[in-house]
Amino acid sequence: MKTIRHTTTLFYYDGPQVFEARDTIGGHYVAVMVEPENGSDRYLVAGVAPERLRQFRAGTLDLRSLLSEAGAEEWYLAAVVAGLDQPLALVPQTAPLAGSGLLPDEGFLLHDRPTEELALREARERNNLVFEIAAEPPEAAAEHRIHVGTLIGLLGHVQTMIKHAYGAALRELSPDDRRAIDKTDAHMMDVIIPAATGSFRVVLEAAKTPDMLGQSELARALQRVDVLFENAADPAKALATVKAHRGHLAGAYLRLLRFLVKHKTGLRYSWAEPNFTKPNYRAVGEAEAGPLVEVLSGVSNLGGESVTLVGEFDKMNRSTGAWGLLTEDGLQSGKVREGGPSLDGLKAGGRYKFACVEEIEEVEGTGREIRTLYLNEHEPA
Amino acid sequence: MSYRDSLPASCPPDAAEEIAAPRAVFRLVRTNPPTPDDFLSQRQENPSKVFSGVTECQVCGLSVFADKHDAVAKAQKLQHLKNRKICRVTLNAGAGRIQPTFQPSHHTWWPLAAFDILAHCGVETA
Repeated sequence: MKTIRHTTTLFYYDGPQVFEARDTIGGHYVAVMVEPENGSDRYLVAGVAPERLRQFRAGTLDLRSLLSEAGAEEWYLAAVVAGLDQPLALVPQTAPLAGSGLLPDEGFLLHDRPTEELALREARERNNLVFEIAAEPPEAAAEHRIHVGTLIGLLGHVQTMIKHAYGAALRELSPDDRRAIDKTDAHMMDVIIPAATGSFRVVLEAAKTPDMLGQSELARALQRVDVLFENAADPAKALATVKAHRGHLAGAYLRLLRFLVKHKTGLRYSWAEPNFTKPNYRAVGEAEAGPLVEVLSGVSNLGGESVTLVGEFDKMNRSTGAWGLLTEDGLQSGKVREGGPSLDGLKAGGRYKFACVEEIEEVEGTGREIRTLYLNEHEPA
Repeated sequence: MSYRDSLPASCPPDAAEEIAAPRAVFRLVRTNPPTPDDFLSQRQENPSKVFSGVTECQVCGLSVFADKHDAVAKAQKLQHLKNRKICRVTLNAGAGRIQPTFQPSHHTWWPLAAFDILAHCGVETA
């Protein structure tokens, strides 16, 4: 017997009313709840063509039409016995679907207002968070062109900034909330349209699918990024905002701005989740990036984050100022800046508390980050 | 402050907003006037059922729409909901917490025990 698995809830009301499913060979299905039978939830199920499903998600095709054309040949009923996380057995029906009385009325559109905005349209069609960036470096002025290094650098800086924005957002959650979410690679994005028409535009999608409520973890990060870009046209206001987000996120933002200045381009972005009514949009122009870099570069230690380590003193190198501390998380290495605290008198194997600042430097052109811990103070633990 | 339903830990979530100012939401009900049965959470209706694809917190809340249009143009078009009536519920301070969930307009509402739902609702005529 053919079975399907629930993949995404498209319409919820006291339970999943309309959902997407896939069969064992990847075929697409849409299921719609009908009257329960013997206390079990039941769904009308029909196999659908991917393109028609995309149109339904985008709000340009109504549910009855989608099911009618798909169910003209084959349609099924499926009773939920062990929950929607288990395979659903499909029972083929022989009576015509049109006369079954189970079809929804005409006019059920998933979105009332189809959108022309790329990020939102893609978000709805893909049922995931979509992030669109646009740059206008000099080489893109006359034709659809961008230097490889500019594109790679831009994507790398943006992804890095989002990674740190996600880290910062997670730190504000309660430990219970942090534990409850799957944070693995939640900041990662995939390129889905490498060169959209218009200025040089790249469209990315959250690498992970949304949670069961249809929300992407990546949104936490992008909300933070929005705040940083909010006052890009006003360096004084931007300074206050970025200072309030001092740490690796601010550092990554400043590195991105420096990159934009170096490559003579501004940056526009918009992002949306499927349930948005309009995308969030922010921009920093080429002319705005320079003054921002100037004002932010004057802030000492903007990108540093305080880190406290407790562990056994492992080693030191007087000539380089390098040290090692064996903590519960393994051996942590760092440096002492010129004029920093002396390591003389610390005993190997002794237990100490090190108050450090973690700074990140970028390996030019690679997007790779080098983290360095600088010791500020130490005391016996 | 206690909730009407017995809720799991960390429920409602931090992201749920405490209702402080009057606002209208819309729920599908079976009868006019509505009865307490129209406002049972999925968990209350099915105490021993295993729900999947949703959190336990979610099934302990009530589905409501912020926009009546979504109740009319979507939910009421489905075969097993088409005979339901649309009830306007006026929420105000003391009604509990609410959070947008799933598609636009859909919210999950966790009512406080002291909030008299039936005294704050009325079936809308077309």
